[in-house]
Amino acid sequence: MNFTVLLTVAVTVCLIGIALRLYVWFSQGIHPPPATSTLPQRLAAAAKALGGALFGPRLLTILKSIFLDLLFQQRVFDKNTLRWLAHGLIFTGFLLLFFLHALDSLITERLFSGYVSTLNPYLFLRNLFGVMVLAGVAIAVYRRITLRPQRLKTYAGDWAALVFVGGIILSGMLLEGTKMSSYSTFQRMVEEYGDVAGDEELQALEAFWVKDNGLVVAHKQVAVTSALVEQGREISGRSCIECHAANSSAFASFTLARITGPIAAAIGDAGAVNFLWYLHILFCLSFLAWLPFSKMFHIVSAPVSLIITRIMGKENGEPANVLTRQMIGLSACTHCGACSLECSSNMFFESFHNDFILPSEKVQFLKHIAAGKELDPATLKKLQQGLYICTSCDRCTNICPSGINLKELFVSSRYALLDRGIPETSMLSHFSFPLALAQSYVGDHRKALQVVEQLFRKSFTALADMVRPLTLEKGGTFSNPSYRSCYSCQRCTNICPVVRSYDNPGEALGMLPHQIIFSLGIGKVDLAMGAQMIWSCSTCYLCQEHCPNQVELCDIFYRLKNAAIAKIEEGGRS
Amino acid sequence: MKFAFFQGCNIPVRIEQYADSTEAVLQTFGIELVRIPEFNCCGYPMRNVDEKAYIMPSVRNMAIAEKAGLDIVVICNCCFASLQKARNVLATDPALQEEFNTLLAKEGLAYHGTTRIRHYLTVLHEDVGIEAIRNRLVNTCKGLKLSVIHGCHILRPREVTQFDDSFVPRITDEIVGVTGATSLDWRGRMECCGAALAGLNDELSRRLLQEKITGARQAGADCITPICSYCHLQFDTTQTNMATETPGTQVLPVLLLPQLLGLCLGLDERRLGIARNRTIAASDIDHIKSLLGPPVEEKKKKVRQQAA
Repeated sequence: MNFTVLLTVAVTVCLIGIALRLYVWFSQGIHPPPATSTLPQRLAAAAKALGGALFGPRLLTILKSIFLDLLFQQRVFDKNTLRWLAHGLIFTGFLLLFFLHALDSLITERLFSGYVSTLNPYLFLRNLFGVMVLAGVAIAVYRRITLRPQRLKTYAGDWAALVFVGGIILSGMLLEGTKMSSYSTFQRMVEEYGDVAGDEELQALEAFWVKDNGLVVAHKQVAVTSALVEQGREISGRSCIECHAANSSAFASFTLARITGPIAAAIGDAGAVNFLWYLHILFCLSFLAWLPFSKMFHIVSAPVSLIITRIMGKENGEPANVLTRQMIGLSACTHCGACSLECSSNMFFESFHNDFILPSEKVQFLKHIAAGKELDPATLKKLQQGLYICTSCDRCTNICPSGINLKELFVSSRYALLDRGIPETSMLSHFSFPLALAQSYVGDHRKALQVVEQLFRKSFTALADMVRPLTLEKGGTFSNPSYRSCYSCQRCTNICPVVRSYDNPGEALGMLPHQIIFSLGIGKVDLAMGAQMIWSCSTCYLCQEHCPNQVELCDIFYRLKNAAIAKIEEGGRS
Repeated sequence: MKFAFFQGCNIPVRIEQYADSTEAVLQTFGIELVRIPEFNCCGYPMRNVDEKAYIMPSVRNMAIAEKAGLDIVVICNCCFASLQKARNVLATDPALQEEFNTLLAKEGLAYHGTTRIRHYLTVLHEDVGIEAIRNRLVNTCKGLKLSVIHGCHILRPREVTQFDDSFVPRITDEIVGVTGATSLDWRGRMECCGAALAGLNDELSRRLLQEKITGARQAGADCITPICSYCHLQFDTTQTNMATETPGTQVLPVLLLPQLLGLCLGLDERRLGIARNRTIAASDIDHIKSLLGPPVEEKKKKVRQQAA
């Protein structure tokens, strides 16, 4: 197939992909439901915000962001030098190769009048940039492998990105190296540009290129004597050197040529050059076509996200822009895992084995929610739990190299999911505390809490609802045996600040602290588990501290809470 | 002296001034607090849900400190209690310790229980000492009346927390006392701020909080001084939220103990972040500053003692 056809296909796919992703920016969102603002409304709001930013004092902030956040990558630099180095090497090397080499006829030729790709410094620089990219890729691979125990997840897409980038460079180097060793390329060059008189001179030139420039001649014997080489050097000087520097300056390809040269010559050097050319072009063009559909789209979205974050911080702007910012953020995630490595909740992942506890895994998955995709209940439940098990420490938001406002995304999606009415038992944890402080989604929170309360009422019988008299249960044991020492003085209930908060505590709390201990005494663990008291316990430990018989009331309440949640979760699974 | 500084999740993002002022005060006495970014949540938020999931994070944190060869200094009561609880549980449960260690080994960590968990107040009281503090004072703050609220999880259960006397705590009184300010004896001093119920039962949580605010006011407090970061957030943030909902409410200003101590040690008030407390108005700060004066009498006494 013709190169132009391939290029056209790749560019078309890439442009369609970019258009689709931009459409998603303005058409999808997580919470509140996307229907609240239409596409034209969101475009208008975005245009207004953009206009305001470009034609106002914020322009300086944008310029600062371009230098600090985009070019220098300050957010990564502040956190991890090795990762910064890897990104910097790939970013710089790849970009320079793209402009100076891939677009040489558009850029380099116009900038530098004497540009010939086989001359220095171009020959050398191409290799330098290529080696930079490869070094960056090597660090990235090393990081992905060594950080696996630290809960860094790697998907096929992450490896694909590294394979593409590395593949482009390696295939390019192999192509260049094979061309150096190829006799047919040599012949073509001599015919086109050479000033060679007769076979004798040609032999001398061959000898020189074999000796100094990695040419491999397999089909005939080439005498490489010093006299011939010297003569060849002279011929080369007058007919080649003007447009072709010594191959050794392309140090990487030249080194590779020493290994691949004999192989290429054995299987047919013209074919090998042709094959590698196609391989290199295919790598480049398929990368181009794949880019908008992969995490590599961050080349477009991360700069936008970073500039927005530099201007707005963690604050939300215009309501119509909130969803758009969410979507830009989601598309800017590179799945680098920096957030998960520093996530405060990362140890809870080890307990619950739920990938969604890790911020990097949540953010990767949220695009399905934003797209309104139907998900199976089990996945939804896991995602909801993962979204809830979060200390709201904002570390992920502060660390994200793409400047994604993860905090806002996670809080919004948390309530978007809870809105579906699936009970979330982790709401009963202290992860709810920062949410109560923030006072956002107050109504949604209360509603979701009621769903959990209903589930509790359904799962446990309250003391007040019992019709038959209480009977002694046999073999009733509880993991904390201190309840057995209770001698019914009721000091616990009398000192409890929660009990004294109610006019009719028995009704409000289901059971009073001493009654819970009594019910454990007669083996009614389930009855104790269903009492509102354990969830109204302020965990102040006054009862436990003041108990004359060392009944560990507060610890027992914690145990009961744990057991009640476990029982409900068990019921949900069966 | 060097400690690993365990800030927990709330302080770095919501109460930076607590960390900054504590650091500044301890630094005055040559104590360095090392910030360790690898620390994760102490586990406390998970306590209602699962005991093991609650303990494990603290074990990792202690293993990290162990690797750095440092004892841990904590500000937040709940973090303090979680770390102490984990230590306590593992001391009697070698099987659990082994289970956690297998997990930690993947990250090249191990828990042996060699790291001690210290509350910054204990460090001030024991390692620095009241006399050393007195000798460094530039000011006293006579006439300022504080309601200290200890918070529950630092005092109780005493077998686990091992902090001061859980029935008659004196560390805070002695530290407040050295600044010349008065630590009031008031009803809520050792009781609950309601934080553990926030988000689960806001009504009850706020009722407990309001009870403390009213109690402190009735005792004549100029400021409330929460020790725990959860208490701080209740008094500083939730109180502000409540006041916005009921216009016309006068808020009770929050002043942290290291902020008061810092003022008396002559530290820059911006470094102590006093104005970052939401409930403290500029006029409150001015009032506190107007009470600052050189510790005249004590010095005279000392001179006399030395002469004698």
